[in-house]
Amino acid sequence: MASYQNPQLRDRLAAEYVLGTLRGRARARFESLMRYDPALRRLVSDWEARVTPLAVAAGEIAPPARVWAALSRRIAGARPDAGARGLAFWRGLAVTSTAFVLILATFIGMAPKPEPPMAMVAVMNDDKGQPAMVVSWPPMKGMRDPHIRIKVVQAHPVMAPGTSWEMWMLPGGQAAPVSMGLISIDRDQVMRIQPALAEKMGGAWGIAMSVEPEKGSPTGVPTGPVIFKGQCVKIL
Amino acid sequence: MTRPPPDTLAQQLTGLLGQCALKNQRAFEDLYRLTSSKLYGVALRILRRQDWAEEVLQECYVNIWNHAGNYAQAKSAPLTWMTSIVRNRSLDWLRRPRAEATGEEYEIAVEAWQDDAPGPMEQLMASSEAAALARCLQQLESKQRQSIMLAFFNGLSHSELADHMKLPLGTVKTWVRRGLERLKGCLGEPA
Repeated sequence: MASYQNPQLRDRLAAEYVLGTLRGRARARFESLMRYDPALRRLVSDWEARVTPLAVAAGEIAPPARVWAALSRRIAGARPDAGARGLAFWRGLAVTSTAFVLILATFIGMAPKPEPPMAMVAVMNDDKGQPAMVVSWPPMKGMRDPHIRIKVVQAHPVMAPGTSWEMWMLPGGQAAPVSMGLISIDRDQVMRIQPALAEKMGGAWGIAMSVEPEKGSPTGVPTGPVIFKGQCVKIL
Repeated sequence: MTRPPPDTLAQQLTGLLGQCALKNQRAFEDLYRLTSSKLYGVALRILRRQDWAEEVLQECYVNIWNHAGNYAQAKSAPLTWMTSIVRNRSLDWLRRPRAEATGEEYEIAVEAWQDDAPGPMEQLMASSEAAALARCLQQLESKQRQSIMLAFFNGLSHSELADHMKLPLGTVKTWVRRGLERLKGCLGEPA
């Protein structure tokens, strides 16, 4: 077999790998070489960039609905999702916010692995005292990729164009709110937070959401109306 | 059907992959809705059997879900990244013993897009992302173009190409190689 160090050969093999004409054992061998050879991987991704638009332009055909049905079952175990029980469940819940938190905590406690259990949760109410969004997060200690989960509980004011909603951690006492980040869509989502903030999340007293310009509060404190707020509850 | 322009789609897909890395199932659903018809088409053309294409598609989306975090390191466009996963898995699938598709099954499988779908070349010309590629493909000799298109779209190996085009294996290999070289020369280095 010719040397894999020959630059022309390497490029040609990368091209034929991407085109698909490199087959059988040669393909398997090439894949194992690629694993340890970043330069070879780069040749492959260059070729992918060149010819893959061809595949995309080939024409679309919708897969049968059973593919999504099977797929969503397969990934469903990956994440606790109390919302899978349907919004109607939440809407029908005529309870005070405290009871609500307890019920939510039960769900989260039952959550299947591998997602770590949530450590804290806050139900943010709107100005009528109705639960609007639930924010929860796992223990942040030693977490490589700190994030929080935001769940939309019920219909709330629509996000106006040119604005964003900024979430604030309220440390309690006289301390000023700390920005957690912006959300640009008003639906369930995961938000990454800064590691420095993650360390402080265990001591959070409350969470609030304010309406801000698109790029967020220019001053570092809430400037627009606070639309939701809620107290944090430790559940772990 | 209206669809966002390509740049917007790429941005949207990048955002969704980021959310998938954080195990956001809603984002995954959106990602599936935006890309599954493209990727199913890719798998079906190579595998030529609906049941296989469905299985491969499902596996690939599970893969995408599990490895969405790796996308950040990939320097390619999101759809290129996803398409490559599906193409590679489909080609691996063909390596299994007994994975021989008959022409008949293929016809059944692609029937759904036969009616109104223009040929690959016309679609390519119409697609802004692939316009440069289409131009370069047209500059190839017709045999080179034909062998590259057949290999790429239908997942044909060198020997299958030779059978299909009724030409010696060595000749077909040379066409593919020269065609690829010329294509690279025409397209230049990717940005």
